[in-house]
Amino acid sequence: MKAKRQLDSIDLKELKLLVCVGPGGVGKTTMSAAFAVQAAALGRAVDVMTVDPAPRLLDALGLGADSAEPVEVSLENLRHSRGSKSHRARLRALRLDPKRTFDSIIGRYAPSDAARDVILENRIYRNLSNALAGVADYMAMEKLLELASNPATDMIVLDTPPAAEAIDFLDAPRRLLELLNSRAISLLGAPKGILRSRLRVVDIAARAVLAAFDRVTGLNLLSDVQAFVASFDGMYEGFAARASSAQEKLRATDTAIVIVTTAEASRIAQAREFIEALDRANLRVAALVVNRVMAEMPDAAEITAAAISAPLKKKLKRNLSDYSALKTREESSLSALRESVPKGAVLIVAPDLGREPLTVADLAEVGRSLRPR
Amino acid sequence: MKAPRVLFVTGKGGTGKSTVAAAIALAHSRRRPTILADLDRRLSAAAMLGAAPSDGTPAKVTNSLEVVALGARAELDAFIARIVPIPAISRRMLRSRTFGYVTAALPGLEAFLLLERLRILAGDAALKDHYLVIDAPASGSAIELLSVAAGVRNISPTGTLNRLADSVAAFLADPKRFGAIITVTPEELALREALETEATMRERLSIATIAAIMNRVPDSLFDTAELAALSPLGNHARLAIRRNAAHEAALAGARRLKKAGIATVRLPMMFTPAMGMDELEQLGQVLDAELLER
Repeated sequence: MKAKRQLDSIDLKELKLLVCVGPGGVGKTTMSAAFAVQAAALGRAVDVMTVDPAPRLLDALGLGADSAEPVEVSLENLRHSRGSKSHRARLRALRLDPKRTFDSIIGRYAPSDAARDVILENRIYRNLSNALAGVADYMAMEKLLELASNPATDMIVLDTPPAAEAIDFLDAPRRLLELLNSRAISLLGAPKGILRSRLRVVDIAARAVLAAFDRVTGLNLLSDVQAFVASFDGMYEGFAARASSAQEKLRATDTAIVIVTTAEASRIAQAREFIEALDRANLRVAALVVNRVMAEMPDAAEITAAAISAPLKKKLKRNLSDYSALKTREESSLSALRESVPKGAVLIVAPDLGREPLTVADLAEVGRSLRPR
Repeated sequence: MKAPRVLFVTGKGGTGKSTVAAAIALAHSRRRPTILADLDRRLSAAAMLGAAPSDGTPAKVTNSLEVVALGARAELDAFIARIVPIPAISRRMLRSRTFGYVTAALPGLEAFLLLERLRILAGDAALKDHYLVIDAPASGSAIELLSVAAGVRNISPTGTLNRLADSVAAFLADPKRFGAIITVTPEELALREALETEATMRERLSIATIAAIMNRVPDSLFDTAELAALSPLGNHARLAIRRNAAHEAALAGARRLKKAGIATVRLPMMFTPAMGMDELEQLGQVLDAELLER
C-alpha cells in the first residue's frame, strides 16, 4: 500500500513509544487513542496513557473516570480487521494521577520510611505538590518508564497535556533534575553536601525577597519549602537516573513524536511554535497530523444537472459556496503549515469524520483514514 | 445593563474563546468604555482586533476600547520590583535561573498575583465606570487559576496573604463584579466540558456563569423532505446533512445547558474565507442583543 509506506516514520508495527503533543482542542487525545487502537489492530500489545485532567480519552474508549491503573479495552470488533494473528494484541488505557504517582515515587526513593513520611506530611507537598514546577509533567514520564518496563507491553502511546509550551512536558525530567541540582537548593538551605557553588549577590537578594514575602504574608512558607526541598536529600541519585532514562527514551529511534493540530489559523500558529520549540530541545518530530481536515468540495455542475426543484438547487449552491469559503480558509492555513514541516517529518491529514469519534470503532476509522499529504 | 463588571471568557480549547472574547469586548465598547485583558501568551484576541499590547502598555483599538496583555510572570516581576526597590538588583534577580526555580517552588504565587491584579483592575473599572472582558485560559487551566485563591487560604490560615486571598475569593464570588462566559461548539465533548466547568465553578468556587456561548452554529437550510430528495446527490447531500446536523446539535446542546440552569447564546457560523473585523462586528451585534443588553 503506497500510503502506508509514506507513513513509515510512524510505523505502528515497530514503534515502542509514540508521543502526541499539540495545542488544546485539536483532538490530540482522540488521535492518541486512534494510533493505539490501530497498533493493537496490527497485533501489538499497547498501553495508551492520557494526562488530560478531563477523562476524555476514557470516555472515547467507553471506560469509567477513575482509571489510574491500566484498564483493558475491548477489541472485539477489531480483531479481524487486519487479519491479525497475534495473540499478544491488547489495548489498555489509563489516566495519569500525578499525585498518586508522586507519592509512590517518594516511597521508592526515600532513604527511610521516616524520610518518606516527612515529605508526605509536608504542608507544601500535601497542598500543592501538583502546582510545583513541572511535577505533573515529570510524573507522566515516571509512569511512562514504569509502563515501559513491562515486558508484556510492545508499545506505549502517550497523550500529553495541552501545554502552553510543548517542551515543558517533554523537557520535564531535565528541568526537575536541574532544580534539584541547582543552587536553588543551597538557596533554600539544603545540606552543604549538594552545594555546587557559593551564593552570589543575586541569590542573596532572592533570599531577601522570599524572606520579605514571608514577613509581609506571615506565611512561613519559606521554611516549609526549605524543609520540603531539604527532605529530598538522599533521593537525588534515584531521580537523576530516572530522568536520564526518560531523556534517552524520548530520543530513541523507536520513539516518534507527533504534533497534532487542526487547520485553524490560530492552531497552526501554535503548531509552528511547537515545531521550533522541539527543535531547540533537540527532539525530532516524526510527523505532523492535521486533524479534522474537510473533504474536497463536490462539483457545482452536479447541482445543475440534478433532477431536483429550482429552489432546492439554489439552496444547494448556497450551501456549497458557504462550505467552499471555509475550505478556502482551511487551505490557506494548511499551506502556511506546509512550509514549516521539519526535515524528515511527514505531513499527515486526518479527514473530518463528519461526527465526533466516540467509540473504539470510530477511533479505528480515524486511524485508517490517515493520509500523507 | 446587567452584565457584571468583569466577564471571564473561558471554554474548551478550539471552541473560539479568543474570538468570542474579542467580539464581546467590541460589542461592549460600542456602549461603554471597555478593556479587553488578554491572558493568552499569544495575544490572539488582541491580534484579531488589530492591537499589539506589550508588557504593561495597553493598546488602543478605538476611543472606547483598550487591550492589555496580562501574564502571571509580569505580575511577579511587578511584585518583586515593589519588594526590591533597587532596579539593578531586581532586574538581575529576575533574570537569574535560580530565582525562577525558587518562585516555581512557591506554589501558585504567580497565579495568585495575577488574580489579585484582576481584582484591582475590576475595582478601578468600577470607579471609572469601565467594563472588563478577560480572554482567559482554556477551562482546565482557568479553573486551576481561579482555584489558587482557595489554595492560598489553605496554606496560609492567617496574615496578609490570607486577607488578600479572602478578598480575591469574595471578588470572584460576587456576581455583580465577576461572571464567567463559557464558549462551546455543537459537539458532545465541548458540551460536556462546558457543563463540568460551570458545575465546578459554581460548587467549588461560588463563581456564577452568565451564559454559555454556542459558537459556530450554521443556520438550518434544508427541511427533512429536502434532505430526503438530496440522497442521490452523494457529496452534496453529505454537505447538506452536515449543516443541518450541526444546527440540530446546537439546539440539543442548548436544551441540555438549559436543563443545567445555563442560558445559551447562539453565534452563527461565519461562512467566510477569513475571520476579520467584519466578522467580529457581526458576532458582536448578536452578543450585544442576546447577552449584554438582554
